[in-house]
Amino acid sequence: MNLKKQFKEGLLTQNPVLVQVLGMCSTMAITTSFFNGLGMGLAVTVILTLSNVIISAIRKIVPDKIRIAMFIVVIAGFVTMVDLFLQAFVPALAASLGVFIPLIVVNCIILGRAEAFSYKNGVAASFFDGIFQGIGYTLVLLAMCIIRELLGAGTFGGGIFGVDGKGIRIIPAQFPAGMLTLPVGGFLVLACLIAAMQWALSRPKKNKEESK
Amino acid sequence: MSNEVKTKEKVNMDPKYIIKLTVTLFATCVIVAGLLGLVNMVTKDKIAAINWENTQTAMKAVVADPDNTEFSEALENTDAMSAAAKAAGGTLDSVYEVLVGGENAGYAIKVVASGSQGNIEMMVGVDAEGVVTGVSIVDNSETSGIGSKVMSNEPLSSGVGVLDQFQGKSAAADGTLTVGKNVDAISGATVSSKGVTAGVNAALAVAGAIG
Repeated sequence: MNLKKQFKEGLLTQNPVLVQVLGMCSTMAITTSFFNGLGMGLAVTVILTLSNVIISAIRKIVPDKIRIAMFIVVIAGFVTMVDLFLQAFVPALAASLGVFIPLIVVNCIILGRAEAFSYKNGVAASFFDGIFQGIGYTLVLLAMCIIRELLGAGTFGGGIFGVDGKGIRIIPAQFPAGMLTLPVGGFLVLACLIAAMQWALSRPKKNKEESK
Repeated sequence: MSNEVKTKEKVNMDPKYIIKLTVTLFATCVIVAGLLGLVNMVTKDKIAAINWENTQTAMKAVVADPDNTEFSEALENTDAMSAAAKAAGGTLDSVYEVLVGGENAGYAIKVVASGSQGNIEMMVGVDAEGVVTGVSIVDNSETSGIGSKVMSNEPLSSGVGVLDQFQGKSAAADGTLTVGKNVDAISGATVSSKGVTAGVNAALAVAGAIG
């Protein structure tokens, strides 16, 4: 177990959204306000961590041939639990995320990590993998939310701060490009973030090569 | 090709292995279902309470005197009520009795009508004489900036809100409400306006079918 390496992988070198390019649907669809991004990120982190731990714990008794079916049952169980708890205790978030909470079942980050990591590693390592990958996902969602909300609606912190949770207005209402809060804006912002990430990741290597 | 056949035979040959697979998967499903049952028991009442509160807020928005009004539990939907809503172009969701001082003062009727982008869920208040007391939108997916103007009750050129214009209308005095005849639409959002109108017609038809 190498915590530092796992931490770096989750946030940077193996970031689920920007490097593994997993879970695109939810990333595009819900990143229109700060509250949504935070809520979705936390929900996925919780589900990912729990399902990683359970899958890692039962990995020795799961027959190879039906492992994907077992993963899905475990994941669907946790997603339904989180969905029910959100509806009961955070109804505002449940209403604004709508169908994307149940759809976490088919979010490939969770199945991807189950197959790639927790099926092969110990419980503790899988626990931290879930947390770090979840944080990596959440941070990207928040970055997208902040950019899209600021440029698309001219506000910051929609859903939490400001009057009626409408966010703090930074750019006057007549200037923002509403397009950015539509799906097309999601593609543009995500593409820019992935490009920036790839550039940042490839840079040190080049420097090393040059110095050789 | 020969490889494929071999792997297939391997699986088929061992019935014990197949039984093991089935039992493992079945046991997992049973355990997960049991846990979900527990979670559902904890959250069921809470979710029902929140839904009831949201429904009440929507109903309060469509009655004349919200502070002194109470609402009954949902009434049973009869076939006649559902058929009346359908004939008028909407779908009946549920009917609640409006009670002022414990006396029936009309109904709050939740109907679903189709807008330009999907379903519009709306609450319509109808008093004991069959006159609309208010219309509010519960849920919709109309286009932001166009159909959403209807949903957010933007004023018409006459200055009256597009949803408020239904207040005081009744099936007896106005017949079937029609956009362009006795209902005004927001320009550019005709389909959404027509959807809301169909919903109000359906609610009036349901009210007629009750009493």
